[in-house]
Amino acid sequence: MTTIDQVISTPAEPLISRKTAVLLGQLGFAAVLLIAWQWAADAFGIIFFAPPLAVLQRLYEMAASGEMFWDIWATLKVSAIGFVIAMVAGAILPFGLRLSPRVTEAVEPYIFWSQGIPKYALAPWLILWFGIGELPKVIIVIAMTFYVIFYNTLAGVRAVDFRLINMARVMGASEKVVAREVIWKSIQPFFYAGMKIAMPHAVGACIVGEFLVSTEGVGYYIEHARELSDTVGVFAGIVVATALVLVINALVNWLERRALAWRPVARDMR
Amino acid sequence: MAPPFLEIRNLAKRFPTRQGREPSPWVIRDLSFAVGEGEFVTLIGPSGSGKTTLLNMIAQIDAASDGQILFSGDAIAASDPKSLRPGLDRRIGYVTQDDNLLPWRTTIDNVLFPLEVQGRLDDKTRAHAETLIKAVGLSGYERYYPHELSGGMRKRTSLIRTLVYDPPVILMDEPFAAVDAQTRAQLQEDLLRLWEMGRKTIIFVTHDIAEAIALGDRTLVLTKQPTRIAAEHKIPFRRPRNVKDIFALEGFASVYETIRAEIQ
Repeated sequence: MTTIDQVISTPAEPLISRKTAVLLGQLGFAAVLLIAWQWAADAFGIIFFAPPLAVLQRLYEMAASGEMFWDIWATLKVSAIGFVIAMVAGAILPFGLRLSPRVTEAVEPYIFWSQGIPKYALAPWLILWFGIGELPKVIIVIAMTFYVIFYNTLAGVRAVDFRLINMARVMGASEKVVAREVIWKSIQPFFYAGMKIAMPHAVGACIVGEFLVSTEGVGYYIEHARELSDTVGVFAGIVVATALVLVINALVNWLERRALAWRPVARDMR
Repeated sequence: MAPPFLEIRNLAKRFPTRQGREPSPWVIRDLSFAVGEGEFVTLIGPSGSGKTTLLNMIAQIDAASDGQILFSGDAIAASDPKSLRPGLDRRIGYVTQDDNLLPWRTTIDNVLFPLEVQGRLDDKTRAHAETLIKAVGLSGYERYYPHELSGGMRKRTSLIRTLVYDPPVILMDEPFAAVDAQTRAQLQEDLLRLWEMGRKTIIFVTHDIAEAIALGDRTLVLTKQPTRIAAEHKIPFRRPRNVKDIFALEGFASVYETIRAEIQ
């Protein structure tokens, strides 16, 4: 006898699983990219396109001498200091503005206009003021990341379900508790969305800052290699910078998954 | 004579008029009633009769335009929105129409939320919360998030979240309107059982006549906008009541018909 299960049974297992197929595809695509890279190096010459193996060799040398880690440390330090300051300010300011709609109305246009200033245009003036140390770069990083965090958090604060706030107040929650337990928790998705956009910007801004004024850092390494017409060095620097951003992204994703673990997930997405 | 436990006197409400529009109409006007301590009062009225607005004003999350609300003789209603005191020092609980559970908190953490914000979380109150969870059949679901629960379970969670901190007055705004008939009957039984245990003062808003009769000591019928009290009925049925059998009781049909005629 045929049961209904048999009639609508799932199709037979394919020869290779879906996961393996995807992995093979990804590896294949990587191989194509590497071949194209090698071809470009052959076609345009080493001055314009460093061959992948030479870049790999250089990365190994940089790692072995420890130079790479000093540069990463220098870049990471400036990006992190600037980013943390921008993040704290960008997250706290909307909470302050929430308390007074009038102050918000007065201040918001200025924040909006100041966003229009091309931040890198400030660099010469910042060097004038603060010299060529870390401070001008930190300020550039802050300027490049603050707005993203601020506007995301502000949008989040404005989107908080007012009924939840009323519920908490009726139950005796102080305004401080409302801010911490209802509003802050509500805006987590917005906050992480801002972080994800801002983090790569922070590293990017720091590297550009290092092009302009620096004696260390990944940006300095790239710019210094360019001055020496060392294309392999330029490429190696770019690879390091990319890896840095990817690692930071993975970290933010991990933090986000932890913070937003409560959210419904589409379990059947495949 | 002692003042009534909770008294609503000539309460009125109109929302602020938007610029360039006709003056907004009165939602509530000249509404008065009193509630005794430990009394279960049900309010019934046509939809759009300002029932939620009335409860919001009693809970002090919305300001009255005129009139007074007195709590043991003290006037508490403020017409100045800035001096509102939501929940008036935790003495007025409010079970809203939507469950308003915090989506990032599990069942148990939602139930403990009021105790947490009031700084009253200890072994005793925690045990009380667990008793309530058991009493409404949510055992085993303590670690579930609201989106993983059924509508009825969310209602129960929201109900015991208010019961857990023991406010002397509890306002309920059609708390069971959005669930199916069977779940509703179960929730009503749960509520009555919990109420028999503590005998809180309850003001329960509904648009379901049978529910108003089954639960209340007294049922107040509201008019259309601007809302006033149209009629008042003492519900003669003995407690403890069995919600499922209420239809069969002698006298139910006549009360039901009278109220139905009064609601326009």
